[in-house]
Amino acid sequence: MKYINRLSTIAAATGLGALLATGITGCSSSTQQEAQQPKGAFVIIEETAPGKYKIKDEFPADETRIVLKELDGKERVLTKEEMDKLVKEEAAKIDNGTSVLTQQNPEVSQGMGLGSVLLSSIAGAMIGSWIGNKLFGNQNYQNNRKAGYKSPQTYQRSKKSFNKPRKSTTKRSGFFGGKKSSTRSGGFFGG
Amino acid sequence: MIALQKTTPLSTDYLESLGFVWHTDSDESPYVADELVVISEAEAEAYYEAANTLYDMFVEAAEHVIENNLFHEIGIPFNLVELIKESWENDVHWHLYGRFDLAGGIDGKPIKLLEFNADTPTALFETAVVQWAILKQNSMEETAQFNALYEALLDNFKRLVTLDEDVSDFESRYEGWKFLFTSIRGNSEEENTVRLLQHIATEAGYATQFAYIDEIEFSAEEGIFYNEENYELWFKLIPWEDIALEESDLAMLLTNIIKNQKAIIFNPAYTLLFQSKGMLKILWDLYPDHPLLLQSSFEPLNGKKQVEKPIFGREGGNVAIIDTDNSVIEQVTGDYSSHKMVYQAYTELPTDQKGLSYQAGVFYAYEACALGFRKGGKILDNMSKFVGHIVR
Repeated sequence: MKYINRLSTIAAATGLGALLATGITGCSSSTQQEAQQPKGAFVIIEETAPGKYKIKDEFPADETRIVLKELDGKERVLTKEEMDKLVKEEAAKIDNGTSVLTQQNPEVSQGMGLGSVLLSSIAGAMIGSWIGNKLFGNQNYQNNRKAGYKSPQTYQRSKKSFNKPRKSTTKRSGFFGGKKSSTRSGGFFGG
Repeated sequence: MIALQKTTPLSTDYLESLGFVWHTDSDESPYVADELVVISEAEAEAYYEAANTLYDMFVEAAEHVIENNLFHEIGIPFNLVELIKESWENDVHWHLYGRFDLAGGIDGKPIKLLEFNADTPTALFETAVVQWAILKQNSMEETAQFNALYEALLDNFKRLVTLDEDVSDFESRYEGWKFLFTSIRGNSEEENTVRLLQHIATEAGYATQFAYIDEIEFSAEEGIFYNEENYELWFKLIPWEDIALEESDLAMLLTNIIKNQKAIIFNPAYTLLFQSKGMLKILWDLYPDHPLLLQSSFEPLNGKKQVEKPIFGREGGNVAIIDTDNSVIEQVTGDYSSHKMVYQAYTELPTDQKGLSYQAGVFYAYEACALGFRKGGKILDNMSKFVGHIVR
């Protein structure tokens, strides 16, 4: 019968041998702490001066959409290709040190180039996440990205909405709080 | 008489290092016996065959209950009926594991079904890990055990994705669905049983997490959440009937979560059908005089020595042994006196030299896969001991 095991076979075949050596109480799951991020962002970018842009508003969304309001009042949605291209170009600038995002005290009161603004936004952070530490761990970037927003209020509102847990009023929790059930032995009888 | 072999017990420090913290009972006596039951390979084989046969019979009986709408007869709370039907009809609601409690099987006595703990079986850690560690510590290299619980669970976890006996394409078919494991806060035995299951699921390849039930958020439309993370798979070591009776809002939410296909719950709701001791009577109706069954009825059996037990009792609570003249031989008090009762013909359990009774627990995960024993008085209650075994 295949389910009668001898010591040597089972320890080799499964992780039971390792379990016997290490136990499970200290076992922490490597998948435990994944970053809590919304799936996407809806971003409205406004042209404030020729070639200068600021984030007018942004909020969490299921899909990432970037709406560009140009100086002449025209509105359009950036395509995926445009976004990728902007992020790539900005990444190159970050690498060669010409991006305003990573400079100390850049002159950005008028706004920044479209690529810089895009990367300042949450959407940019998502699209450009492959840029990784060279951007998001950079203190200048953390300071400068605020400048990409039309007003401090816009920045704060965005930060707040993205940090807010996605709570739905229809979700319920707290079941069996303080109650104890017992499943031991399942309730058998002998006899 | 049961044949026993003395062993050197595992130290409490070692047991605790494994996560097995319920090693001592409330009277300070060790919960795990320092002896092993010695059985033959033929006896192990017979347990294996019996559990497999019984499982097929339970499936037939469940179908019978559903087709004939006998939920009320076997004590199923009305607010779970829809959920049970939903879970029964779709293969994705895979039964992870259960434990048959059996009388006989050694000493030449016939195997008889006492009950099936199909929803929230414990003794998992003892059976899968502790009794194996005893063999190992005692250097019994040449001896064997009817115990593949760990690997059977590993495979059955994979089957939740493959839905097939063959699990070889699990890796290619697993789409990253996350698996949340849950117990009620404040019971270390239950928590560590669940953590063992989580450990096995992680090894099978799932992204897993543990959370207490009170920390989890449930939404009929969106599914099951912990720390804002959505979990498609949820294991709960919490009896379905407790959810139905104590947290009826949760029962309703879970029904809708299943209907909206937002999560799959283990063990599935239909395992409550198996768990109900009312099924003993249904089985006897369908398979009268079957050699693995004891006569069972919702009415006292006339002039027979019998056991009265509540339909959803635990730890032997409110179980009574009644003699042929209706006198009560032995009785355990408990919280289940208001339950509907089932009457099952009495059968003698195998005993050791001290007169203690032994009951076999055979685990089932896709097929029968492991054996462990409990010993105690005539009615096994929460002071009964776990006894490992060796196959010679």
